[in-house]
Amino acid sequence: MEPVMMILIVGCVVIGGLLASLGAHLLPVGGAPAAMGTATGIATGTVQIMLGAVMTGLFTAASVATFTDSLLLVSLSGAVGATVMMCVVMFMANIVYAFGCGIVPISGRVDVDPITKEPQAPYRTPQTDGHGVPNVVYVSGAIGGFLAGFAGALMYYALLNYAHFSAGLAAIVALSIFVANAILAAYNIRGTIEGFHDPKFKRLPKALISSFAVSLLCGIVVVLAATILGGAL
Amino acid sequence: MPIEVVLLFAWMLVIAFLAFIACTFEDLESDIGSQSNPNSQVQLAAQVGQINRFFNKAISGEPLSNAMYCVTAGTIAWLLLRQFEPLVPGEEWKAAVLAIPIGVLAATMINMIFSTTSHCGRTAAQKRFEQPIYLDVLYGHLIPIGAHAFMTTFCITCIAYIQSNIGTLSGNPALDHPFALPLLGFIWGITVGAIGSSTGDVHYGAEREFQDRPFGEGKRVVYHGKITRYAECGVRTQKDIAGFCLKFGAPCTGMTFGLIILFENWRSMVGMQLGGFLPALPAFTATGDMAAIFGIVLGLLIVAALMVGNIVFVKWVRKKYGPFVGV
Repeated sequence: MEPVMMILIVGCVVIGGLLASLGAHLLPVGGAPAAMGTATGIATGTVQIMLGAVMTGLFTAASVATFTDSLLLVSLSGAVGATVMMCVVMFMANIVYAFGCGIVPISGRVDVDPITKEPQAPYRTPQTDGHGVPNVVYVSGAIGGFLAGFAGALMYYALLNYAHFSAGLAAIVALSIFVANAILAAYNIRGTIEGFHDPKFKRLPKALISSFAVSLLCGIVVVLAATILGGAL
Repeated sequence: MPIEVVLLFAWMLVIAFLAFIACTFEDLESDIGSQSNPNSQVQLAAQVGQINRFFNKAISGEPLSNAMYCVTAGTIAWLLLRQFEPLVPGEEWKAAVLAIPIGVLAATMINMIFSTTSHCGRTAAQKRFEQPIYLDVLYGHLIPIGAHAFMTTFCITCIAYIQSNIGTLSGNPALDHPFALPLLGFIWGITVGAIGSSTGDVHYGAEREFQDRPFGEGKRVVYHGKITRYAECGVRTQKDIAGFCLKFGAPCTGMTFGLIILFENWRSMVGMQLGGFLPALPAFTATGDMAAIFGIVLGLLIVAALMVGNIVFVKWVRKKYGPFVGV
């Protein structure tokens, strides 16, 4: 394998890993408290919702990769797929909160919504950390989904076309690298996060450093596998 | 419009319908077994002195457990298909009719085994809080859990089968999805679990588990663990919860997954149609690029519509419900 190609593979994996970490910090994750309406965000774990979104994006990206060889188009297809998934989930979660439980979507971390300037504090239930998916959280989640989907599809494209893995193997390896980065981000988030306006978002640089290290290692392993095993994959 | 294109769109609608059914049953299965996030309250209940007759299974997060069942079902079905398809040349669907239910049945049995060990293990660990293992609760919930899990895994495996053969089924084998059946099962297993966990559990966790608390507010931290233990008639078990969540939470969850599958497939196929890719399939040309661009633009339009929809909806809810007036 040419050295340029090796650098390209490692570069794509590292960029994908860093974007995955950034995307994980932008996703509004409420965990178990969100399922009880005690915290703002999506009522599941960081890794779980990220995987769901990226998988949906990857499905479309893999279809698109069968008829176009443009890196940008394949990655954008994955990004838009993950964003659609996140947007539908957050919108339907709001419908269940509003009509199923009578709960108003309210942020727990800010008193005024930074985007729509709607006041939040008067609507918040005491002894809770917000509830539902308010607008600022929704926008943050959509951006997070876009970045995460872009990262997954970018790694898939690099593994498929530069490392010459088969479609199935490329998907599994891309997801594995992605999961490693998502778990690192989940450790950094420690529970719940609302998005870019959350104070926890300031912890991002540390997660990016660890993501860089892990992704670099993963990229080197991918290059070694592609070089040693050649076309056998 | 050529028949191949019509068939492609028809199969897409079948997939979306199956997705709706799959996610509805996935949410009900997680409610009956009390898997995922609201189970933290069932777990906590005994520790705060609330002895209950809830089923307590938290095998793992819903996405991973569903992915496991769907991959198991998909792998067994795929192996059986490889064996059966040569026996019925020209009528391969007959092999699928036999192979898919057998694979799904095996996955369902694994689910029931995990449910048993998970419930017994978790409840036995609560002996110090004097929480008994009610054997009628254990036996009575296993069949409903298995039945709902069968429906979920069956629909997902069918979706994976159709998608991995969608080109062949509609007359253009080049349009088959590049992923094999078990990998597609893995993808949709993870996604169906992520949606069931993030959308459907809200109705169970925020409403049904705390039905004797004030309606219309987030559940305060002081309520945690103090779940509603009495039903409309007698002591509550999870069978009452499934009936309740079926009225709103589960169909909403099903619609979420159905919409995602519909939007994703619809924008790809309409993009292919608008770009002039169907039915000629000139891959790796400017036509292929145009098909991808149209798909991306349509996806962005859907995202924009959903964002505006959410802003309007949140504004409406805030105006309708008003500020918090409780104590």
